[in-house]
Amino acid sequence: MDRRNFFKILSTVSAGAAATSCGTKRDALAPLLVPEHEIVPGVEQWHVAVCRECAAGCGVIARVMEGERTVERNGQKFRERVAAIKKLEGNPLDPVSGGRLCARGQAAVQGLYHPDRVRGPLKRTGARGEAKFAPVAWDEAIAGVVDKLKGRASDVLFLTAPEVSARTASIARFVQAIGAPAARTCSLQQPAGLPRYDLARARYVLGVGADFLGTWASPVYYMRQYGEFRQGRPGVRGHFVQADSRMSLTASNADEWVPIQPGSERAFLAAIGAVLRGENPKQEWLDACGVTEKRVRRIAEELKQSEAPLVIAADTEAALYVNGLLGNFNKPGGVFGVYASLGSAPQKGDVRGARVLLVDAGENPAYLAPGSLANVETIISFSPFLDDTAAQADWILPDHHALESDMAIEQPVSPKRSVAVGTAFVKPLYDTRAVEQTLADVAKKMSVAYAPVTPEEFAKPLLAEGESWEDVVRRGGVQADAQAGELKVPQALQVQPVERSPLVLQTYLSTQYYDGRAANLPWMQELPDPASSAMWDLPVEIDPKTASSLQIASGDRVGVESERGAIEVFAYVHPAAIPGVVSMAIGEGHAHFTRYASGRGANPLTVADAEKPMRVKISRIAGARGELAQFSPQDREQGPWGGR
Amino acid sequence: MSERTKHRWAMAIDLDRCTGCQACVAACHAENNLPLSDPESAAKGRAVHWIRVDRYYEGEFPEVKVKHMPVLCQQCDEAPCEPVCPVYATYQNAEGLNVQVYNRCVGTRYCGNNCPYSVRFFNWFDPVWPEPLQLQHNPDVSIRMGGVMEKCTFCIQRIKRAENDAKDEKRDVADGEIQPACAQSCPAEAMVFGDLNDPESKVSRMAGSGRSTRLLEELGTKPKVFYLQRGA
Repeated sequence: MDRRNFFKILSTVSAGAAATSCGTKRDALAPLLVPEHEIVPGVEQWHVAVCRECAAGCGVIARVMEGERTVERNGQKFRERVAAIKKLEGNPLDPVSGGRLCARGQAAVQGLYHPDRVRGPLKRTGARGEAKFAPVAWDEAIAGVVDKLKGRASDVLFLTAPEVSARTASIARFVQAIGAPAARTCSLQQPAGLPRYDLARARYVLGVGADFLGTWASPVYYMRQYGEFRQGRPGVRGHFVQADSRMSLTASNADEWVPIQPGSERAFLAAIGAVLRGENPKQEWLDACGVTEKRVRRIAEELKQSEAPLVIAADTEAALYVNGLLGNFNKPGGVFGVYASLGSAPQKGDVRGARVLLVDAGENPAYLAPGSLANVETIISFSPFLDDTAAQADWILPDHHALESDMAIEQPVSPKRSVAVGTAFVKPLYDTRAVEQTLADVAKKMSVAYAPVTPEEFAKPLLAEGESWEDVVRRGGVQADAQAGELKVPQALQVQPVERSPLVLQTYLSTQYYDGRAANLPWMQELPDPASSAMWDLPVEIDPKTASSLQIASGDRVGVESERGAIEVFAYVHPAAIPGVVSMAIGEGHAHFTRYASGRGANPLTVADAEKPMRVKISRIAGARGELAQFSPQDREQGPWGGR
Repeated sequence: MSERTKHRWAMAIDLDRCTGCQACVAACHAENNLPLSDPESAAKGRAVHWIRVDRYYEGEFPEVKVKHMPVLCQQCDEAPCEPVCPVYATYQNAEGLNVQVYNRCVGTRYCGNNCPYSVRFFNWFDPVWPEPLQLQHNPDVSIRMGGVMEKCTFCIQRIKRAENDAKDEKRDVADGEIQPACAQSCPAEAMVFGDLNDPESKVSRMAGSGRSTRLLEELGTKPKVFYLQRGA
């Protein structure tokens, strides 16, 4: 559906599908649960929803048509006709997605119709980690949770996403009601509160360590901007330099890639900053990042000469420092502040000290911090899948899938102050319950006064006068014109010394699996890795020099070992890897995560830290079996046409 | 070649916009009911992606560059796959589409063998979708069973739907009205679909750009996918 058609629908919307004479097509946009009698074979309906595959919260639209599934009642199998989601597209009215969607967003529908979803509440029956569960009734599960929480409020740690949403607001209210400490997160997604970079109107962009076209912040938003930056302005083509410790998806699009050592992003920006201030960059900074002074001076000079320079970095403080020196705030092609927030996002937390752990869907400490659950007494999971953490849980009280849920999420990167809103329009497939509802049931049983924050209550401050909630629900969100907040600009940068060792492993978020949460989706498993073209696995990327000195070739099995742990993985000899810097994407290596991801590949976080590279030893494992499946094994252009 | 009608569908891909994110690949799977692979079949080279993003490394570290290029069926005017099919399962339709008729195909795989772009895929087995993954299936696209070839159709179901709509409303198909799933999803708006017979269409203008090239043009296949090279 294009923008024109979408507006047409919005202006003529009425509840239910309006079948036309030919019966092939007519769209209607109805913010209500679709009743079965309104599902006409061959007629599509479009509904708004919100993508929850990363922190960006892109507004999407879903194509709903007839589908058939098998259900079992009283021991007999029936075919049941249901309203089924066929396809997700970006919502053209959404300021972030603008009608576009990334690969992970496209695959979200496979989570909804995943064959291995948790179909109702479960109670652990085996030893912890054995993943043996028995189905129980909701009442029993609620009673079980209440039993674990009673009188232990101060021992409770609630994990949820680092976002500002009706969900996190509800959880904040719950933990306060029972007297527990504030909710935390263990997720690797970028937290709310990042400034917005006006990439589309910049002329010269220096990116530092931020994979903004792949996994950082709001990839669809920045990719839309990137297209405009390159070819959206007649006669102007933006120039792009990326300094990165890895040839990331973003770096691979740059006109110039500046390889820098892992962990030296701040040192690099400090050096750029020094040149901009007319000072000499410190030698220790240059040594830390491994870039010559000449090159730093040239890039700084190019930034200075450009009429619209922009520095985008994962290290926000350093990015603001350099952009400040360029006088780059609140102007076209510059940096914009953060809008006033409707709440506060959960901060990073360590689960090691927790006694009673409540884990929201999407949080997976057993995978992201391996071994951290060893001393936790009680684990209660709300995950709709039996993931690494849920497999260790005492109780699983499954949440609906995001596409079956009511929600409101503040969009962390948006040109306007905006909240994306989704309302359930397909019936939950299984005996699942929204976390908000489960918490209300728990609170009631504990005789604690608690009511969840509804999406409407959450988003209300953004509604303009006379704007109805029905309107917001129909459009999939609400935006308000607002003044962006002041940016806190550091006057100087504190640069910590960077340790260098001969062979280090750095981890990164993968395009396919993000922080591992999409590894259960078969479309993502078979999506070729952008670097290695690997499918159904992720290899460790080794530079050609190191590989040849260790006698390793692409497809060999290798052992990677650090002081923390060891893994066995496939090797990929990456033609653009920095010598001595080994990289591996996070995503595979789940102990439990449905038939498509369980026991596949290895988890690099057992060897290295997500934020800090670690010294490793690598060795080829002779005679190891298995084959790395690659879609395009060739990484050099060949054939009669040569390199154009 | 068959007679030409009003439309001649084509695509232009701006490689300066393309980031290689593969949103197009996932969108294609969702739209066209592509068979699911598994680790074993993928290792045997049997995974199916109607569109792929080729990535090529050029040069050696540190002067190394990466090139991304989405490759789908090039819908050639002189398609090498067509004359080798013994049963006319693949042929050029009146709108210049290189179509694949699944229920004619007997699985000789000659077409796949003859395609210089490696964009044709053979179904070695019947596809399997564990319940309830099949709920996602697009009812507009038929499921291909074992023994037949399949490939990108330029989302012919979307083309037909737009043409029927236009006919019902007694008008022409507007430029930009049809978007194959890949082009619709593309966040950087690198892919543009349209009618080459309309000189004012966006795709015609892009095809005439100084940056426009075609893949393996020297083979004389006359592809209808135009790649706009990077640069000003």
